[in-house]
Formats: sequence, structure tokens, C-alpha cells
Amino acid sequence: MSTSSTVVEETHELEPHILAGRARAAVILFIISDVMSVMAILAAGGYLSALNVLNQYRVPGDHPPSFVLGLIVAIVIILSALSYYVWGRGAMSDERGVGQSALLIAAFVLMLAATVIQIIMGLTLGYAGNPYHAYESVMILVTWYSAIHFLLSAIVGLLLIGRVMRGRMAGRGFLVEASGYWWYYTVIAGLLMWIFTLVLI
Amino acid sequence: MSEATQVRRSSLISNLFPSVVSGIILGVIGAVVCGLVVGALVQDNQDAAVVAAYTGWTIFFFIGIGAFNGVWKWGFARRDPTHAEELQLAGQNQGLWRYFRFTTDHKVVGMQYLATVLFLFFIGSMGAFMIRLEQSVPGAIFFDPSTYNTIVGMHGIIMIVSAIIMISGPFGNFILPIMIGARDMAFPRLNALSYWLLFSGLPIFLSTLFLGGFPTGWTGYAPLSVQELTPGMDAYCFLIIIFALSTMVAAMNILTTVLVLRTKGMTWGRLPIFVWGVVLSVLLGLTAFPSFMVSQIMVLMDRVFQTSFFLAASGGSNWLYEHLFWFMGHPEVYVIALPSMAAAAEMAAVFSRKALFGRRMMLSGLIGIAIISFLVWGHHLYTSGANTPLDAPYMLDTELISIPTGFFFLGIIGTIWRGKLWMTPSLLFVCGMLVNFVIGGITGIYLADLPTDEILHGGMFVTAHFHFTLVGSMVFGFFGAFYYWFPKMVGKRLNPMLAKLHFWLFEIGFLGTFLSLFYAGLLGEPRWSANVAPSYAVPNLIASLFAILIAASVFTAVYNVIITLRSGEAAEANEWGGKTLEWTVPTPVPLENFEHLPVVTSTPYDYGTPSLSEDTEGALSPLPSPSQPQAQAEG
Repeated sequence: MSTSSTVVEETHELEPHILAGRARAAVILFIISDVMSVMAILAAGGYLSALNVLNQYRVPGDHPPSFVLGLIVAIVIILSALSYYVWGRGAMSDERGVGQSALLIAAFVLMLAATVIQIIMGLTLGYAGNPYHAYESVMILVTWYSAIHFLLSAIVGLLLIGRVMRGRMAGRGFLVEASGYWWYYTVIAGLLMWIFTLVLI
Repeated sequence: MSEATQVRRSSLISNLFPSVVSGIILGVIGAVVCGLVVGALVQDNQDAAVVAAYTGWTIFFFIGIGAFNGVWKWGFARRDPTHAEELQLAGQNQGLWRYFRFTTDHKVVGMQYLATVLFLFFIGSMGAFMIRLEQSVPGAIFFDPSTYNTIVGMHGIIMIVSAIIMISGPFGNFILPIMIGARDMAFPRLNALSYWLLFSGLPIFLSTLFLGGFPTGWTGYAPLSVQELTPGMDAYCFLIIIFALSTMVAAMNILTTVLVLRTKGMTWGRLPIFVWGVVLSVLLGLTAFPSFMVSQIMVLMDRVFQTSFFLAASGGSNWLYEHLFWFMGHPEVYVIALPSMAAAAEMAAVFSRKALFGRRMMLSGLIGIAIISFLVWGHHLYTSGANTPLDAPYMLDTELISIPTGFFFLGIIGTIWRGKLWMTPSLLFVCGMLVNFVIGGITGIYLADLPTDEILHGGMFVTAHFHFTLVGSMVFGFFGAFYYWFPKMVGKRLNPMLAKLHFWLFEIGFLGTFLSLFYAGLLGEPRWSANVAPSYAVPNLIASLFAILIAASVFTAVYNVIITLRSGEAAEANEWGGKTLEWTVPTPVPLENFEHLPVVTSTPYDYGTPSLSEDTEGALSPLPSPSQPQAQAEG
């Protein structure tokens, strides 16, 4: 058939600038796609709020997710982004050492903590349900979607830690950079969705 | 190659694990366990158990097929994979079995997509024939209305899914990387992931047959989808979520490939028009499909967790669904159309032995369509009751989109005009596409205009219109591309007489069927009715009789493929005398495509100018073919 073996099978490594461009392009495209899903959720909430069908969109007793937990998550993810940024600067200039690795671990632990707190927030929303009104529905979706975002970033962080521990990040500054795009995007999207829960009437 | 010794010796066990066999075994176990556990924990919620089973199937299928192995190794392996290991993952020396594994070679993935598309088209067309059977005489005599609705819905979604991937999947994976002078896709593992995601969604979707089906048609409109009591609806929602993920991964991969892996000299200005079509198509998919995915997450939440995104009694709205759906649904038409139109342009140039007519105009047409397609979704809500002040702007830009579309088709006609035509099956399908698109396009204007749409909406006129655009135009483009690239992909030559018979049966049957349905629509026949009223009996009977020709065309094509695979002639490396890069590599295509990466110094449409080899270096000289079209045209 179409892919039988030939003499062509020899090593064909991609050049470093192509590896870097590939990583950057893929993460940016992934972010663009994810932005569209976040926008769809936020637009849905705004649309239902504006329609307020049968005056049933938000009924007495409906409340936003816990402000305190939301604030803690916001602080934690900002700290995580700062840790990642400082680690990233060092990693890009090939700095090594325990302190350098600790920054990445801190970024990961903070992101993991944000995931856990977000899940706790989702579990303690305190809505009566059966059925949940539209406002509550939007809050549930936003809360859990954020949790999934944080979880994805935590998984990325774990994989990066694995590579650092195995000594496989040397000369791979583009991985730090491209992963950073996603990391910072997650933080921005998380903050945006939190603000949305506060301002959506 | 000493690295080869580091690769595991193959055995029955290492062949089966991981492979699709281990994937299915683990997936079924995962589905049963997750379904039972959640069913026990959350009683009186059938949907929760079904969705848990689907989730279990998907996750454990991917564990079983080895999709997560690469992720784990990326993070925690002691070293990067050797080239020998990469080649083994790409299916080296694995024969046909490589098509049943998580194989990364873009050509294997392309063939997997092609086989899947053909299978889905076959299944979907069987659904179409059941619909025509039911509609051939008044009275619901073959199926009960519920079964009929499920058949219509399954036919619709299978055909739409197939049409979305029919060009970008097979040819975007197999041909596109070679066309731009790359050895593989940018992310070979993601490439395999995109295909197997699609594959994993198919058993989920087919399970709807055993779970009561779904009544909504392919659009899955809420709140009907939320209020549907049988769990068959969950299958639809889950399929869409899986499919959206698959599409996103594929789009990201194809775009990255074209962005960073073009060979030296392959500037954006020299990119073949087909590559442009695929790039714009997947870019549309990447940005439009997330809203569809979100809509299905919401429907599943409404069904499983009793949220109320779409239930008016609790503050939800069906219009929200319609907006989320059609924000995807209209660009989706162009996700299907752009690569098909671009493939048609590619074939028109090759079989007319002429440069593309107005290449920049055609390109601007593609880009214009891609941009405007995001602004037209509101025309699907004309009769929804939303009655927004945006109706007039939607009407305007829906009509506006016909201008860039016209540019593109003008380019195809200009290319064929006074060319040295080589009437291959591919060019026949391109000509059929032109004829059908004129009918589909003009009838679309009546649906774009609010006053006439008020009358025609929800009727057979709409059914006939979108079949003319999607099937008569875009699926015809697919079959043209299929006959064009099949020799390169499979290494064998399809029987041209059977291929032409396929075309004529299809074209005549198609025109007879759907022109009759236009007439039925003008008489006022509604869509989605199992029971044809006596006043619409004649056009429906005529449509059903002509559908027999379409059925005959399907079986002709299937027969042609089977006999070609069994005993077809070997194809030439450059079967059609084409000048794009895929025709410069041997057939069958070697594992990494090029011995030396080519350098490009001109566009691939310089027919009538000195040989391409004079303009280029490396491996760009088209190989001689005994079936050069010039000889036939001049003779």
C-alpha cells in the first residue's frame, strides 16, 4: 500500500527554529479555540440575563459563587503565574539548581491548589436545584469550566516538572515559552470568568 | 541503523497491545464499569449512567489504544524517543496492521479518514434511501414516525460529519503535507489522536439505536433535545462533543503544519489553492465549533443535572441554543465548501492544462467567504420568533456572501474555458459541481430573503436547496478529488468507465430527486414528516424513483473500489501530469515522503510554460506518465 519502507528512512530532525515555531503556533491556536468556547459561555450567560425569560432567569435566593473562595482562587492563580514567569525567565537563560526548580514546583502546586479550591467552590454552591434556574445553571457551568482549565494547566505543570527532573529541558526554551502562553491564558481566563460571576446580574 | 535495535521486537502481544483491539476491550470494560457505578450511585437518572458509560468508553479506549503513552513519555521518560522508535510509531514494517493502531504517519491517518468517510457515506446514503422509501407513497407505511425521525436525524448528522471531514481528513492529511514539501504533519501524535477521537465517537453515536433513538434531526434543537425522555439523545450530544474536540485537534495540527513546515521557497503566494482551501476551512472549524461543543455541554447538563439553559419555565431560552448552534452551523457549510471548491480548482487546472484563471481573485474569494460566513448565522432564526432588528443586516450579508463565492466559481469556469480538456471522471464531477451549484446557489437567494423565507422555511424547498449545495456541489467535489488522488494514495488506478458511470448515475439521479423536491416544496410540503400528504404524492414518487439511480451510483462506486483494490492496475507516480509536489514523489509514497526536501521557485500552475524542472531544484521535476493529457487532448 502507500507507505512501504524505502531507503529514505534516515534521521530527519526538525530544525530548532521550526520546533519553536511549531510549539508557539500550536498553543496560540489552541488558545484561540478555547477563547471561543469561553466567549460562548459568557455570551450565553449575558444573553439569558438580558432575555430574562418569564422573569425566571434569577429568582430570589439565587446567589453568585462564594466571593471569598473566588478571591482566594484569584490570588492563588496570580501567584502561580508569577512563579511561572520567574521560573520561565531563569529556564530560558538555562539557569539550573534547586531554587530554580522550586519555582516551577511552586507554580504547579499553586495551580493545583486553585483547582482544588475551585472544585470545593463548585461543590458548595448551595443551590437547591431540581431544576436549577438559568442563573444558577450559568454559575455552575462557569465554575466547573474554570476548574477544568486549572486542572489542564496543573497537568501541563506536572509534565514540565517531569522533564525538568529528567534533565530534558536544556535547549528547549520554546517549551517554557509556549507552555507559558497557556499558563498565563488560564490565569486571565480564570480571572475573567470570576469577574463575570460577580458582575452578571 | 543501529537505533533500530532499540525498537521492541514485534510479537502477537506487542501487535495487539496497544491497538484498536486493546482499545475496544478496555473501552467496553470502562464503559460497563463507569455506567454501573454511576447507575448505582445516582439512581433514577438514566442519562447520568449513560453519559458516565460514554465517558468511561472514551477514556479507556484511549488508554487501550496507547494514546496516552506519548504524553507520559513526553513528561517523564529519561530521553526523547529515537528516530527508530518514531518510525515504528509511524507504522514502519507493520503492513496493514498499522491502520488499526495509533499510527502517526500522516498517510496512514489519511487512509484511515478516507475509509471512514466512505463507510459513513455508505451508511448515511442507506439512511437516505430509507427516507425516500418511506416518502415514496402517502401514509407512514414502512416506519413509525419515531423510527423515521431517528433515521432522518442519523442520516443528517452522519452526512454532515462525513462532509465536514471528507476533504480535510483524507486529503488534508495524506496530500497536503506532501504538497507543501513536508515529511509529516507538525504533530504526528495529535494527528492520530484526531482520527481516533472521531473513531471513538462512532460506536457512541450508533448506540443511540439501542437507546431509543433521538427525535430532533441533525440540528438537535433544544428544548426538544432536553425534554426527550429516551437516553438516545445523549449519544448525539456526546458525539458532537467528541467530534468538536477531534476537529479542533485536527485544525490546530493542519494549521501549524502549513505555518511552519512549508519547504524552502513555498511562500504563501506559491501555496497551491487546495492548501489555501483546507487552511481556511480548518481555521473556520477551529473558531466556530467551540460554540457547538458548548451548546451540547449545556444540553447534557440540562439532561443530567437538571440545569435550565434552554427551558423557558426556569429562565432558559431555545434561542440561546439556536444562536450557539448556528454560529457553528453556517460557517460549517463553508468548512465543508472551501476545501471542496479548492480541490475542484486544483483539478480544473490540471485537466485543462492551464494556469488558474484569476488566482488572486479566487484566493480573495475564499478569504471573503471565510470572513463573511461568521456574520450570517442569524438568517437561520428569521422564523424563530426572535424578530430582531438584525434581520435586515443578516439578509444583506447573506446575499453578500454570494459575491466572493461567485468570484471563485468564475475562476474555475475561466480555468476550464478554452483549455485542452481531459474529460476524466474528476473533471466530470467538477462540471457536475458547477451545474448543481448554480441551482443550489440561486435557490439560496430565496431563503436568504426574509419575505420569501417566511413562506419556504421548514419545507422541502429548503431540503432540496441544501442538498444541492452540500451534496450536488461539495460531495461532487469530494468524488472528483477522490478519483484524482486515489491513484497516489492507494497506488492503483480506478476503472475510468465505472467512474464515469458513477458520475452519470449520480448526476441524473440527483437532479431528478431534488428538482422534484423543489417542486414539492413550492407546493408547500413540510420537512420532517413521515407521512406524505396525498397532494405531494407525485413529486415524492418521482424523487424516490430517481433516488434508485443514486443508489445504483453508490453501488457502482463501491464495486469499482473493491475490484480496484483486488486487481486494479498499478498507478503511475504522476498519473495526471500534475505539477504540485505530491506528483513528484514515488507511488507508493515513502515513509517520510521526500529523499531530499524540494526547493520551490514558482507556482504549481505553469502549464504552457517551460517545464517545471527548469524553474526548480531538487525533486520537483514531474515524472513522465504514459497517460499525459496533452497527448490525448491534441490527438
